[in-house]
Amino acid sequence: MKTPKSMDIAITNRCNLRCQYCYHFESAEDAGTDLSLEEWFRFFDELRRCAVMRLTLAGGEPFIREDLREFIDGIVKNRMRFSLLSNGTLISDEIAAYLASTKRCDYVQVSIDGSVPITHDACRGQGSFVRAVNGIRALRRHGVPVAIRVTIHRKNVRDLEGVAKLLLEDLALPNFSTNSASHLGLCRKNAQQVQLTAEERTLAMEALLKLTSRYNGRISAAAGPLAEARGWLEMEAARQQGLQSMPGRGFLSGCGVAKDSLAVRPDGVITPCTMLSHIELGRINENSLQSVWQDHSRLKALRNRHLIPLSRFGFCEGCEYLNYCAGSCPGVAYTLTGKDEHPAPDSCLRNFLRDGGSLPERGLLQNQARQGATC
Amino acid sequence: MPDRDNPVANPLIVLREEFDDWAILFDPDTGNAFGLNPTAVYVWKLLNGQNSKDDIVKKLRDAADGVPEDVPKHIGDFIQSLVNLGLVGYETERTQNLVCR
Repeated sequence: MKTPKSMDIAITNRCNLRCQYCYHFESAEDAGTDLSLEEWFRFFDELRRCAVMRLTLAGGEPFIREDLREFIDGIVKNRMRFSLLSNGTLISDEIAAYLASTKRCDYVQVSIDGSVPITHDACRGQGSFVRAVNGIRALRRHGVPVAIRVTIHRKNVRDLEGVAKLLLEDLALPNFSTNSASHLGLCRKNAQQVQLTAEERTLAMEALLKLTSRYNGRISAAAGPLAEARGWLEMEAARQQGLQSMPGRGFLSGCGVAKDSLAVRPDGVITPCTMLSHIELGRINENSLQSVWQDHSRLKALRNRHLIPLSRFGFCEGCEYLNYCAGSCPGVAYTLTGKDEHPAPDSCLRNFLRDGGSLPERGLLQNQARQGATC
Repeated sequence: MPDRDNPVANPLIVLREEFDDWAILFDPDTGNAFGLNPTAVYVWKLLNGQNSKDDIVKKLRDAADGVPEDVPKHIGDFIQSLVNLGLVGYETERTQNLVCR
């Protein structure tokens, strides 16, 4: 690929909330003051020349930018589509109408963590549930596609049935995706309060498999308990059957970073991914995006990460699951071990079982229509 | 000046060329993307209003060996499919022709 197909750009370092597990704040992504519109417009011109097709706007909270409309006009003018990742609380009827009018918005992803204010607001702040639901309603009134991300943590893990009912029945949304609070950004400070214990992970896995079956595959995950339940049950089945290996496993193959997209921090630094914001590849309007994409040695190394065998790591020594494992997210691996070329300890099945976790019944995998999701 | 009978690529459409000479046509208004083989990429680049279908066939015969006899039909069908998808159009009548008399 000559240039990235898409870019994830953090358009602001500001947010009206401070969610306890936010990956952005207190990470390398939490960098500098916001770039001016002029700087972004120069970059959009380069993106047009590179035939980049889609932008995902995140932050911080993208709707906090006072000049968001002009910003998006610049994207539209340069022949791209866009999506936004938001906490939903600043989405007014007027901005929803504007997004619809552009005809270029793929979706707005809104975070909903609970079925009622007490569970949603527990990590996100008082009043955020009502405002987020109002934001979703405004988007839907104007026909803007809405994607929902539910982040599972210690304070909502017993509310998953209620969340599914709220989203799929009461709000009649077509689907939603899930993940869990990961050891990134602010979550590292608040890990005890928000990150699931092994017992709670077991609970979440079982609940999500049952709900996915009940709602006919309308719940998806690329990370977190639902993805882990599916992946780990497959690994356990392979172990019990004594399989030599599983296709593509036994290596650091769990992440497709730098295959078709790159990211930009709020300060204009180009990085491989928002989860790998400590890897600085260059700066917009100073370094050629095409050169960074084609020639940067760190990107080449990340693209070849899938060739690194797990047997190289002392961490994996003696693991019965080694030939069925893919090593998971390099961003989480970095925050936990200081190395991105390392398996992520947080997603280790052996560790999970050692910590007292147990896998759900394999029968729960039956009758599941799988849906993908982005991490 | 483009000829009204010559096909013109919609200027909104993005052509993403790849290393293997294949490409993607991306319509940002619909989000649809279409794969093009190298011959189709060659033809797409000639859809600038300066070339008729016959011009394109001639240029393709000059540029490549072993062009099949029935290539005019293939080119015509390809251009028509692009027209049907809204990716290509034809120059509209001049404004002065539309003034009420």
